Parts: sequence; structure tokens; C-alpha cells
Amino acid sequence: MSIGRNRLKGKSMAEKRERYQNRIELLQGTLDLLILQTLQWGPQHGYGISVAIRNRSGELLQVDTGSLYPALHRLEKQKWIKAEWRISENKQRAKFYQLTASGKKQLTRERSKWSQLSDAIAGVLQPDEK
Amino acid sequence: MSFWRRKGRDAELEEEVRSHLEMAARERAGRGEKREDAERAARREFGNVGLVKDVTRDMWKGMWLEDLWQDLRYGLRMVRRNPGFAALAILTLMLGIGANTAIFSVVNGVLLRPLPYAQPDRLVAINYYFPMGPYVIMRDQSRTMEIAANDDSEFNLTGVETPVRLTGSAVSGNWFAVLGAKPEIGRTIHEGEDQPGKDQLVLLSHSLWERRFGSDPNIVGRWITLEGTRRQVIGVMPAEFRYPSPKTELWVPLHLDPRKAGVYWGSSYMPIIGRLRPGATLGQARAEIAPMRAKIMSAYPWRMPDNTWKAATVLPMQELLVGNVRTKLLVLLGAVGLLLLIACANVANLLLARAITRQKEVAVRTALGAGRWRLARQLMAESMLLTVIGGWLGFLAATYGLPILKATLPTDLPRLADVAVDNLVLAFTALLAAVTGIVFGLLPMLTAARVDLTKTMKTGDERSGTSGSRRLSDALIVAQVAVSVVLVIGAGLLVKSLWNLSTLNPGFQREYVLTARITPNESFCEVAGRCQAFYAELLSRVRALPGVKGVAAVNGLPVGGGAEVVPSQVEAHPTEPGAHTPMFWEKIITPDYLSTLGIPVLRGRGFTAADSAPSAQRVVLVSRSTAERYWPGRDPIGEHVRPAWMSQWWTVVGVVGDVRENDITTDIADWIDGVTYMPYGPHAVQSHGPEGTPAEMTLVMKTSEDRWQLGGELQTVVAGLNHEVPVSRVETLAGWIAEAVSGPRSTASLFSLFAGLALLLGAVGIYGVISYSVAQRTREIGIRIALGARRHEVLMMILRQGARLAFAGVAIGLLGALLLTQLMASLLYGVGARDPMTYAAVAILLVLVALAASYLPARRATRVDPVVALRYE
Repeated sequence: MSIGRNRLKGKSMAEKRERYQNRIELLQGTLDLLILQTLQWGPQHGYGISVAIRNRSGELLQVDTGSLYPALHRLEKQKWIKAEWRISENKQRAKFYQLTASGKKQLTRERSKWSQLSDAIAGVLQPDEK
Repeated sequence: MSFWRRKGRDAELEEEVRSHLEMAARERAGRGEKREDAERAARREFGNVGLVKDVTRDMWKGMWLEDLWQDLRYGLRMVRRNPGFAALAILTLMLGIGANTAIFSVVNGVLLRPLPYAQPDRLVAINYYFPMGPYVIMRDQSRTMEIAANDDSEFNLTGVETPVRLTGSAVSGNWFAVLGAKPEIGRTIHEGEDQPGKDQLVLLSHSLWERRFGSDPNIVGRWITLEGTRRQVIGVMPAEFRYPSPKTELWVPLHLDPRKAGVYWGSSYMPIIGRLRPGATLGQARAEIAPMRAKIMSAYPWRMPDNTWKAATVLPMQELLVGNVRTKLLVLLGAVGLLLLIACANVANLLLARAITRQKEVAVRTALGAGRWRLARQLMAESMLLTVIGGWLGFLAATYGLPILKATLPTDLPRLADVAVDNLVLAFTALLAAVTGIVFGLLPMLTAARVDLTKTMKTGDERSGTSGSRRLSDALIVAQVAVSVVLVIGAGLLVKSLWNLSTLNPGFQREYVLTARITPNESFCEVAGRCQAFYAELLSRVRALPGVKGVAAVNGLPVGGGAEVVPSQVEAHPTEPGAHTPMFWEKIITPDYLSTLGIPVLRGRGFTAADSAPSAQRVVLVSRSTAERYWPGRDPIGEHVRPAWMSQWWTVVGVVGDVRENDITTDIADWIDGVTYMPYGPHAVQSHGPEGTPAEMTLVMKTSEDRWQLGGELQTVVAGLNHEVPVSRVETLAGWIAEAVSGPRSTASLFSLFAGLALLLGAVGIYGVISYSVAQRTREIGIRIALGARRHEVLMMILRQGARLAFAGVAIGLLGALLLTQLMASLLYGVGARDPMTYAAVAILLVLVALAASYLPARRATRVDPVVALRYE
């Protein structure tokens, strides 16, 4: 992303956008991981992904649409997932996302990164045993 | 992903969001919520739809077009922030691109553009000239080509107030059909009209029709008198039709009369053109030449030398037309190409210096996550913007400067009139600008995009140029100096050969000689003695004019003015039948010619009035090198020569000095064996014709000073003698010779212009880099001065820096020149392509320029105030 882009748009809008973008950045990596992981079980549309994440996290993680869709489109651009219009189980047209081969590799990378990170954080958080 | 898919993407996003909302609402409804509440809740949960879409759309960015637009705005901002820098860069590019566009449009018009005739790729030409007899045989024999010929000559237009001499061409009946040329009004000359009795026709050029006949729309059908013969005007050719030359004012049919065997087989050597018949190839046409030549040789009324037309072949017409200017134009194109390289290096250096000062900014951007590629493109956008503006201005400059350029080029440059700015030129400029922008944009990018983040940010020093970028900028300067050396050496060599050409002794006196062509009709001179009496009276009247010190007549001026071509026999060297017959140029002169032009008589005597008497013994003079060639070590006086087809011997009575007859550098053409002089009179011999006095003569008048008004007086004298005789081409002999070197002069002056620009750009480049480095080293210099360095030591330190770059550049440039100037060897005269004097002078010049360019910043360095410098930053 480049500097100065925000300046090109109206100011209040820009501020709101920045909030959104900050949230993306907070979730970035984790959200990508969650999306890729969710898609491992098969193609899914945006709404389905958000529901799946919510359910599997025991309603703990609420995925914000303002983060979800940009993330989906970004992952698509990176060719980790690909999109296809299909008819859903409710006979409705929806955009289904699907993991690509490179997306699967990315998922493996993200998972190991995540486990390293959580190990590291766990290590830090463990009471000192000296 | 491309720009035009954008709309589809928006619609898709729209639908994606809608389906999301619908699914969420449906699920809520499934849980028993009211339909409306469910929809509202779903929307609330979703959040600000517009904003989500907006943020999502952001993810698509990096689509190149949107980025490009943004980059361009960034570039524009940069340009606006530094108008001086931008102006310098744009000016440099304008010069480089403009010069290239202008020269390319000449190359395009002369070498690349197809000939302006129907199906130009089917037009061919034969690389030798042929008389009418051989032409007719070829025309009738060839199955692969429709063959046409034209014989350039001049015509007196009489029956008008002042008779004028017109340039025209006698063409074969199929000539216009072969070229595929259409008239503006009336018709062209048709097949079969080149037969005697049917040929009393004339076709006018547009400019002649305009000038002499007031664009009379009813001109067709009118009768005019040319060379004493009445001809009916059948049409007018359009202004764009300029073949065989832009000077051609009229076309008449050839007069193919086999009964005049001498003329039909022996004179009027004509260029031959042809159009390949449908399906025929150039190769097939070439294969026809040898059998046709055999037929021609056996058809000759006398035996031709066996090697005549041995190397004749068929070439594409365009190739033959422009053959000898190709080298010259390509050398010029190479020169402007080098100039553009220098311009690129200059702008690259400017950008590089800027890129270094902006390193901190770049570092910050990189830290904030700007991709290296994206960053590189941003820098690139700025350079592209500069090139687009510079290129456009250069294109405009070339378009408006083209008429000036065309005026500088010699008028005999073939196809000069076809030179114009067309789409190809525009495309060339655009390509050039694009490549230029990428080249000079890329160079600074290489270093700018490779920034050591932490170091730059930590030091906070915006100006700590990395050693890499400094090395690159030094390399650019060295390259610039090297290329300048090559260009300046090229210009030096051309100027030196031009100097050699214009100061060389042509073998005669050129000062204060006025020349004029006197051209009675051929028929006027057919009556014995009439022409001789006319010229005798004319010479005596002109001699009586005030200021005239001497006057004489000759059949053609030296330095390309022409002479009769006479196949001859030398008594001491009989030629076997079929062997090469010596071809002599025969100058027909009145007795005072030698003294008027100061041509020395080395042995024997010159001519006297008695030699022109009908009863006189036939005598001839030979040039010195002709005498040395045929009578080496012997006295040629008393030896004999004769025209090959006559039996009477002529006696050599004198040897005269060599004269540059062919052009300013050579005495004779390579197919000519010697020069003889014959007295003007009843026995003068014209190529393959019977003896007789030639009609067309050139007067040479030696005056006490330049007397231009003499031309007018001469006109009056001639009109007083015979009001049907035109006087044309009144000019000084010096002017005539200057015209002969107009080709080398224009090459030399264009090359010098480019070299001058290269030198200027090079100097600006060195100045810029040294100034920049002084600014960078202000603190260091301050410390040195504070520690006691003397001012002149500082001066020397900076000068040394400039000199080091200059020496390196000069060394490389000299090597490059050694290789590249070989390509222009054929354009040089009296100076080698590796002339040590020129090389040395240019090397010294370049070092001096470099030192001068470094001196200003060096002096600034000595004025650094250590206190200020140490506080600096």
C-alpha cells in the first residue's frame, strides 16, 4: 500500500477507512489463516465463512464484514483462493471461494507460523520457573 | 487485471454483498424473526455497506492503470516542486529527441518511404546507362519487365518575350505507364509516341505551367516552340511528380530514329527503369540481363569493347536512387543517436542526484510497506512524465525545424522533396521517448530502490549518497565525455576534410570569373559557319565590355560541368578489336580559355585563332596525366589520337596542367581514361556525331573584380546578336565550385552542430555532478579548511575530481572513435579516420571543457565558511 492515498479522498471518509484498515492490520495473518483453514473443508461463500468462523470459535470470534471481504479479495488477488459464482443450497446465486494449490501451501506456512507465535507467547506468559 | 473489467468487478461486489445480506436475513427469518426485522438486523450486523465495498475495492488496487495515474500525479508534484530541474531535463530531452526526429524524418523520406508511384515495390532499375539502340532491344526482349528510359536534356523555349532554357526529359512512350503516373490535366505520353513523326508533343510540369503559362486551364492543345521545333501541349503533371528530378520542367517523347546510327547507338546514355510484370521476380529479371546483353553486343553496328555492361544487373529502383547517400545519412543518424545517449545520461544524472537526496523519503516509504517495485515505478513515472513532455516538444521542434534542415541539405540529395513528418516519424519519436524515459528512469532507480533502510533512517542524513549511486553517477559522466569525444572527433574530421576540399587547388584560377551558359538552338548551328560567327562576334563584344579582362567559351565548366565523351584511338597504343577503347573527355575551347582560367601550358603551345579555320590542320591538347599515361617518358608533341569512328588523326601540339574536371577531388571519372582539348570550330567532334560546331557553350569571363551586373550586360549583348538565344546559369566560378562541395559542407555543419550540442550537454553534466558533490562534501570541506587546508588545495582537490572523470571519458572516447570513425571513412577527404592531430586536439579540448565546468563549483568550494559548514545539517 502506498502513502498518501488517504489524502486523495474526503477527510471524514478517510478517517473511517483508516479505522477499518487498522482492524484489518490487527487481524491480518490471523484472519487470513482462519479463512484459509475454513476453506480447507470445501468451497464456501463469504457469509458461510463468517458463520463457520463464528461457530467454530464458539461464538467468540465475530468476523467483521469490513475485514472479511477485503481479506477475501486480497487473498484472491494473491491467487491463494479463487472465486466462482454458484447456486447455493438455498437456490441463491452466491460467490463461492475455493482454496488453490498455492493457497494450501500458504495455509501450511501460516499454521506453522501461528503455532510458533503461540508457542512463543505461551513461553512468555508461563510463570518463571527459576 | 485490466481497467475495463472494473465495471464487472463493481457489479460483482454489489451482488456478493447482496447475497450475503440475503442469506443472513433468511437465516434469521428461519429462526422465526420477522422478515423486515431480519433484514434490518442483517444490515446492521453487516455494517456500513458502502464503506465495506470501498475498503474491499481498495484491495483491487495495484491494478496498474490506477496506480499509473497516481504515479503520474506524484511525478507532476515532483516536477512542480523543482521547476528548474524539470526545465533543464525537459530542454535536454527536447534537444536529444528533436534532433533525432528531424534526422530520422530525412532518413525516412529518403531511404525508407516507398517511392511515390503506383506499386513502388515492383519498380526496378538497371545499374548502367544505355543508348537508345540497346534500350529498344531490351524493351522488346524482356519478358519479366516493362522497360522504359529517359534522356535528360535542355530545351530553349522561344516565341516568348525573353527566351529561356528549360530542363526537361525525353522519355520512352511507356515511361509514364511504367511509373504509373497520372497527369493533373490532359494526358501523359503514350506508347508508340516515341517514333519519329509522332513525337511533337510536350507535357508540362505543374510549376512551369504556373510560372510561364499563368496556370492556363486551356493549355492542352496549345503549341509552343522548343529548340526551334513546334510541340503541342498534351497535359500537365501534378506538383508531386518530380521524376527524374525536382528540376524537371517538361517531358517530351524520345526520338527513336535508328537511321541516325551515331546518335542511336553511340550517345545519349540513358538510365533504364522497369516494372516487373505480374508474377515476375527480381531474380528472373536479373537472369534476363546476360542474354539481352549478348543480343545488344551482336546488334551493334561497330564492335563494342568486350567488357561493356559486364556488371549490369537489376536493382530495386529505390535502392539505386538513394545508393550513395545511404552512408551519409546513416552516419548522421548515428551521430544524433549518440547525442541522445548524452542527453539520457544527463537527465539520468539529474534524477540520480535527486534520488539520493530523497533517500530518506524512500526509506520511510519502504518501512511503511511500499513495495520495491511500486517505489521504482513511482520514480519511473516522474522520468516518463519528463520524457513525454520533452519528447513532445522535441517533436514540435523537429516539425517546425524541418524546413530549415532541408535547406541545409544539398539540393541534389535524392528524394529531398519526399522528406516530411509522417506517422512513421511520429511513431519513431514516441518509441524513442519511451525507450529514453525507461533508460534514464531505470538507472537512478537501480540505486534508489536499493536503500539500506536502517542506516539511512538512523543517520537522518538525507544526503549520504551511497557509494553505489556515486559510482553510477561517475560512470554516467565518463560515458558522456566518451560519447562527446567520439562526436567531436567525427565533426573534427569532417570539418578538416571540408577545409581540404575548399582550399584544394583545382588546377585553375577561380577568383573573379563569371560564367554563363549560351545556348542557341541545335538547328541554328547545323548551318556551317553560322554558330562560329555568332560566338566570334559575341566574344569580341563581351571583351569590349568595361571590366572584362578576358573571355572564352568552353563546352562545359570544370568540376562536373561536363564534356564530350569520345571513344578514341591512340596511335602509339593500338587497341585490339573488342578490347577496351580509351574513353576521353573532350573539352572544346576557344583559344583564350586556358589563359582566362590560368590553366598552364606545360609543353608545346595552346590554341590560336588559326586552329579554328576550316582548312587548318587538326590539332589537340592533352592534359598532363593523359600524356604521362599514354606516352610515359616521351615527348607527346607530334603524337596522334583520333575519335574511334573516324580515320583522320589529330596531332598533339601541347600539354596542359591537370584540372579537376570530374568533381572537386578527382580529375576524371573512373570510367574515363584521359582529357583532351579541341579548338572550337568546324572540326570539333561531338560524341559519335559528325564533325561540327557545338551549339551550347559556357562563357567564362575574367573580370577585374566581382561584377554581378555583367550578367545583365551580357544578356543585352546576346539579345542584340540573336534574340532567340537564352542566357542561363549566370554565376561565379567560385560559386559553382562551392556548390560542388555543398554535400560535404552540409554533412560537416550538421555534424558540428550535434558535436557542439554534445559538448554543451557534457559540460552541463560535469558541472552538475561536481556542484552536487561539492554540496555533499560541504561539511568535509569545512573541516579540511578548519584544519588548515589552503584554498588552492581545496580548489585542486575538486578540479582533480573533474579531471579524473574527464581523463577516463577521453580515454574511452578515443578508443571508441578509433572504431567508429571507420564507418565514415568514405566521407573524408585528405584526412585519415585516425588523424592523430584531430584526436589530440579533441582530447585536449574535452579535458579543458571538463576543467572549466569543474572550476565554478571548485571555486565555490574554496569559499566554504568552516563555521557555517560545521553547523550545516
